[in-house]
Amino acid sequence: MTTRTPYDIAAHASSDDPRITLEEQLGTFEPIPPYPPRTEREAEFYTLRDGEMFVNMGPQHPSTHGVLRVVLKIDGEKVVDLDPVLGYLHRGVEKLCENADYHQAICYTDPLEYISSLFCEWSPVMAFEKLLDVQVPRRAEYIRVLAGELNRIASHALFMGWFALDLGGLTPILWSFIERDEIVEMLAALTGQRMLFNYFRIGGVNGDLNHEFMSRLGTWMSKATSQINSNQALLNENEIFVRRARGLGVIDTATALNMCMTGPNLRATGVPFDVRRAHPYSIYPELDFDIPTRVEGDCLARYLLRMDEIKQSLRIIDQCLNEMPDGPIMAKLPRLIRPRPGRAYAAIEGPRGQYATYAISDGTDQPYRMRIHDPSFVHLQTVGLLMPGNLIADTMAIMASLDPVMGGVDK
Amino acid sequence: MTVVGRTWERLTIPGKILAVVIPLGAVLTAGLALLIALIGGAVVQFLVDNLPLVRFVVAATIVLLMTVPSAFLIIYMEMKVIALMNLRYGPDRVGPFGSALSVVHGLKVLMKEDFTPTSADVPVFTLAPVVVYMSSVMSLLVLPFAPGIFGQDFNIGLLYFFAMGGLTVVGLLMAGWSSFNKYSLLGGLRSAAQVVSYEIPLTLSVVGVVLLAGTLSINKIVLGQAGSVLDWYVLRQPLAFAIFFIAVTAEANRTPFDLTEADSEIVAGFATEYSGMRFGFFFFAEYVNVFIASGLTVALFMGGWNAPFNWPWPVTVGLDPGGLGIGLLFLLALGPPVVIIVLGLPFYLLNSQVKFWQALIIGFVLFNLLAVAAVLGLAFLSFDWVVGLLWFMGKTYVFVFTFVWMRGTLPRVRIDQLMGFAWKWLLPASLLNLFVTAGAILVVNK
Repeated sequence: MTTRTPYDIAAHASSDDPRITLEEQLGTFEPIPPYPPRTEREAEFYTLRDGEMFVNMGPQHPSTHGVLRVVLKIDGEKVVDLDPVLGYLHRGVEKLCENADYHQAICYTDPLEYISSLFCEWSPVMAFEKLLDVQVPRRAEYIRVLAGELNRIASHALFMGWFALDLGGLTPILWSFIERDEIVEMLAALTGQRMLFNYFRIGGVNGDLNHEFMSRLGTWMSKATSQINSNQALLNENEIFVRRARGLGVIDTATALNMCMTGPNLRATGVPFDVRRAHPYSIYPELDFDIPTRVEGDCLARYLLRMDEIKQSLRIIDQCLNEMPDGPIMAKLPRLIRPRPGRAYAAIEGPRGQYATYAISDGTDQPYRMRIHDPSFVHLQTVGLLMPGNLIADTMAIMASLDPVMGGVDK
Repeated sequence: MTVVGRTWERLTIPGKILAVVIPLGAVLTAGLALLIALIGGAVVQFLVDNLPLVRFVVAATIVLLMTVPSAFLIIYMEMKVIALMNLRYGPDRVGPFGSALSVVHGLKVLMKEDFTPTSADVPVFTLAPVVVYMSSVMSLLVLPFAPGIFGQDFNIGLLYFFAMGGLTVVGLLMAGWSSFNKYSLLGGLRSAAQVVSYEIPLTLSVVGVVLLAGTLSINKIVLGQAGSVLDWYVLRQPLAFAIFFIAVTAEANRTPFDLTEADSEIVAGFATEYSGMRFGFFFFAEYVNVFIASGLTVALFMGGWNAPFNWPWPVTVGLDPGGLGIGLLFLLALGPPVVIIVLGLPFYLLNSQVKFWQALIIGFVLFNLLAVAAVLGLAFLSFDWVVGLLWFMGKTYVFVFTFVWMRGTLPRVRIDQLMGFAWKWLLPASLLNLFVTAGAILVVNK
């Protein structure tokens, strides 16, 4: 017989319970930590001067792109200082990968940048292939590039909608989902999943091109350019949008390089650095495409550059479809992979920049250590440089223009 | 148990209710009759003597009641139109084409928990939505809907209108301050800065119209635009119209000037901590403000309830039912059944599936539709306010659509751009318009 203990109100105190009277302070929350400041910077940041106040932007905020918390120190509408607080989405992916075998590690890295999952698979897969020293069949490489560029367009299309939404435009996000949804559907036909594809395998890809994917792709490609152009016309010719984005969050080339920025954010400052050309991998050396750059380095340049990249991705897809060779899609590999002890580094050009994996093998079937370099994390560091001095409304625009994905930042 | 008690026990529940209600009703009726007999004459005399007051109370009540359906209509319109612009379906479940969804939203808002944050300033927090809503409703009072259909024709109507519109910001500031939330505070202060800045070009742009019309009464301004589309002030004051429309958008806190409730920046602005019907009041007030802004634009620049052209062939209906004498009775008695049968018979004869009673029902429905159409048509021809109301509502909803359209397409401006636009562009432009208008009037009058 178990005895029922009486319900202890104090132990289950909830603010919803009308029997509990709350203290006045419970309704307030200041972001000042309860412990004494640990560093000089912390002491300086948490001291308020006259007319300043803290605003907790996030982790639950309509437009922080995930669960980023930014403690803003504001003076009226102006941001004086800020302190991004990370880690709300930390899942310990790198540690999880060490306890999984090489095949399983791929699906752990998949949801890092959930907007463009194929690139999160591509980089560890390439690192493992380097560890194993295996040659990927050419058809598999072509399929990888084809699917990857499609995913890049989907990611950039979503960026366009997000950026506009953070600037207050309701419609572009739904217009950009025309492309995103169509691409995601055709990738679902190819890989079996809409978001977390888990499609790339060590030594190749999971499945060959099928009829549904090809027919969807053909239908979409025939109208893609005009559709994307018409979607962009809504924003590119909008006076309010251009005035808000131009000259905002300017970052110069030297600072961008010092901050290790890569990808579109770096190319918007005028540096034509693209991993696909700088450190060629896969079949990119054989393909004909340009690396668009812009020199302004502001939010508008970052936005326009991504729109230019969509056009280059369409070119690449066109070439892949024309030159797709026949052949196997998987290299011949044993089911249980035990690479020789060693270390390998593989970097790819994701939609947000250089996405890299550094894997160490100790001869077992599990990676000894996996380090994932995520561009979103690097780019998020620059908000400390870009935001102070701007207005509250611009914090969201700057953040959106850097296009971070918190899944990749917190890992 | 007494006799009364036993009788009471035997009664059913409706019986018990009636046993209480009937004596009570009898006593009350007698009292009322007595009251009417004693002071009824005095009351009637008082009402007759103070007819403007009675008229004001009735008009205020009607206007207050009218805001809710018009807000519902605009909310539904916004949901549907923006959905179409976004390539979505929008509401399509409740009612035909989802038209009852905003009503359901209203009910939902009524039934939700009315939450007050622990640290909020309770009296101010409670009062703020009321202030916002009342200021919207009260500015609706001077808006002329049709000839003779207006709450009050003040000779300082326009001034009263802007005063009431300026009162909204007090409510928003109250909401922002009392919520004890920094987002709310930012929203409230933004609205204060915005509304105060845009009040000036808004008021100055209208001065040109006031000079032309020679009056501040909105009703008389509308009367001054009688005639055709060429007499509307939008053609004589195009710059003022543009300034006014931009400023009134900012006053109503609509996109692209909806900084006070910018959801991607400050969550929901002043309304962040509000829930339930208090939020509902804010929500209603916003859409009533849209209606008011459109209505005022129409009244000042688009000719109000005047038709855009003069109907060259005047139609008069010389119906005199009394002239029929006893025939009228026959007409009323025999007309409907005959018309119903005449209308329903074709359905019965042409379709073997339709039974006779079904054909009768169809005929009845058709007859009613015809009767309603006839009555409305008669009203349309006989009363000029019906035509005026239709024209006014039609024009107003064109502008409401424009507001919705802007919300669907435009991003939001930044606060410094917003203020700079008001002080650097709109204010000089409205002053220029004022001087040009005044000069032109001087020259013409010489």
